Amino acid sequence: MDIVYFIMQQTMFFAIPLLIVAIGGMYSERSGVINIALEGIMVIGAFAGVLFINMTQANLSGQGLLLIAIVIAGITGGLFSLLHAFASINMKADQTISGTALNMFAPAFAIFAARTIQGIQQIQFTDTFQIDKVPVLGDIPVIGPLFFQNCYITTYIGILIFLVAAFVIKKTRFGLRLRACGEHPGAADSVGVNVYKIRYSGVIISGVLAGIGGLVFVVPTSTNFNASVAGYGFLALAVLIFGQWRSNKIFMAAFFFGIMKTLASAYSAIPVLKDLPIPNEVYKMIPYIATLVVLAFFSKNSQAPKAEGIPYDKGSR
Amino acid sequence: MKKKLISLVLAGVMVLGMAGCAEKPGASEESGEKESKGSKYELALITDVGTIDDKSFNQGSWEGLKKYADENDITCKYYKPSEKSDKACLTAIDLAVKGGAKVIVTPGFLFERPIFEAQTKYPDTKFVIVDAAPVEGEGKAPDIKDNVLSIFYAEEQAGYLAGYAAVEEGYRQLGFMGGISVPAVVRYGYGFVQGADAAAKDLGLAQGDINIKYTYVGNFAASPENQAKAAAWYSEGTECIFACGGGVGNSVMKAAEGAGKKVIGVDVDQSVESETVITSAMKTLSDSVYNAVASVYDGTFEGGKSITLGASENGVQLPMEISKFEKFTQEKYDEIYNGLKDGSIKIANDTAADDASKLPVEIVKVESIK
Repeated sequence: MDIVYFIMQQTMFFAIPLLIVAIGGMYSERSGVINIALEGIMVIGAFAGVLFINMTQANLSGQGLLLIAIVIAGITGGLFSLLHAFASINMKADQTISGTALNMFAPAFAIFAARTIQGIQQIQFTDTFQIDKVPVLGDIPVIGPLFFQNCYITTYIGILIFLVAAFVIKKTRFGLRLRACGEHPGAADSVGVNVYKIRYSGVIISGVLAGIGGLVFVVPTSTNFNASVAGYGFLALAVLIFGQWRSNKIFMAAFFFGIMKTLASAYSAIPVLKDLPIPNEVYKMIPYIATLVVLAFFSKNSQAPKAEGIPYDKGSR
Repeated sequence: MKKKLISLVLAGVMVLGMAGCAEKPGASEESGEKESKGSKYELALITDVGTIDDKSFNQGSWEGLKKYADENDITCKYYKPSEKSDKACLTAIDLAVKGGAKVIVTPGFLFERPIFEAQTKYPDTKFVIVDAAPVEGEGKAPDIKDNVLSIFYAEEQAGYLAGYAAVEEGYRQLGFMGGISVPAVVRYGYGFVQGADAAAKDLGLAQGDINIKYTYVGNFAASPENQAKAAAWYSEGTECIFACGGGVGNSVMKAAEGAGKKVIGVDVDQSVESETVITSAMKTLSDSVYNAVASVYDGTFEGGKSITLGASENGVQLPMEISKFEKFTQEKYDEIYNGLKDGSIKIANDTAADDASKLPVEIVKVESIK
């Protein structure tokens, strides 16, 4: 049973950042703006968050510090995404190119800034955030060790973000308008929705969430931040596509990817898998093969927003 | 009006961003800290995929080179190949020579072919290549010209010391997590296994008392995958992992922090990175690069050969003063170190076996995980 708990706890480290970032990507894309810059925004968010932890950890520690760092990562990510929003909404630039530019800029900037500020490019941080056991909840049999032991507060923040985000996009007026702008901006405009404003909100929300996702990714993975999130921004894009731009499916996709990644890394500790004659690489491949299969089979009736990637031009109505 | 203002601000931010990029002319050239004497740099370091603050061999080599440069008021600069390929490395060497380099230091395995070409292309430039020797291609014998000094380390001795210390400390379930199975990493790993075996013999342990999980993760990066791998080992009962691969170490330390277990660092003293690091298997990169550079300037440079620095040259060590040992004493360390020095302790290196589980050990059980 211990091994099941272990796998669940590890899966969270993979799945939660993917979930947060993919939900962010969903907001941008369903408002009609392709956001390939998720990777770069994650880097910038993690950079700001870790730098803050590094500079204040002498005085602060624990969950409070992590929460402030998350807020800072989110704000930085949001600001950074404005560049993408400006290029792709106001300037009507090619959204893939603008996103790629952000991806190339982010790690270079993180290295440059870290070197300027502290001389070396890795930013150290001390992890005072891990929760051995959540009070009360951690003592519940089965569920306690499964969800409330050896974890980070970010897990619950991630779930909360997911619930709120899913509610907003499905049930609120803003969510409906956002979806309309992604499907048929002309129609939305004709009934008085400001497409530019909505698309700006979509991109900024994606920036905030990707920034948070970056920090959430780094904290449980390393003891320093080295200007990289190991391609998890692109993986989040895969989750977004695998989840067909729908929040519930994204949730399942993120956990599917997370479990597969955990199995690929930790299979040597799992008695059943260890004895199977399946090479470790197979587990590594499964998430990607699954994405390819989904793309191949569902591309005809893909759920992608119709107006995604097309700059909205008022005059062409 | 408001919109115009916002677009102005954003445009401003973008321009600033561009300016930030423009300060770095391409990825292939990064300026060192010392820039004078009309942009000629006599001492040059070319990094491999890491950077000069990788807390590993690029950093160690750069520190040695920089120390000599600062002490003797010589200009120095480091270059970074734009990508991981022979061509990019060679281009970086061209750049360094054009920049006035008289001595070029290249740390790492990646440079064996670029240096092979550069040594004949630039016969007047001295090359110091660390952890490798110039070869024409895979399987060919090294061909070292007179202007090249190739430095190897007996990493197996450093690994041996670490393995011995770990078992002496009372750890029975050990792990070795290497980056990529390049010769230096393999030597560390094989030494570690044999050191653990020797300590087990000295302590009179029974066969199978010591288990070592052994793997190469296939990269040198910190990632959730590596963290999960290490966490899985720790949860299975592994007490101490020898993490041997740049950023991989940081992920292992993270897992150790979560599980309350221990880590052994590599190359340089890594105890500052995490509380969990009990010791580090070090090689004295910065000293040997310093000495090599100094030999060029005082005219004692002996090129055309490769040297292997081990215990007898003080090329490897454990940082005993800062290690968190409770049972492994300085006397014991000195005893083994002297054994390594005078050759009474023999260690098989990377050529001894093609897999760690085939090493000639008696007590230790090695479980090689692919």
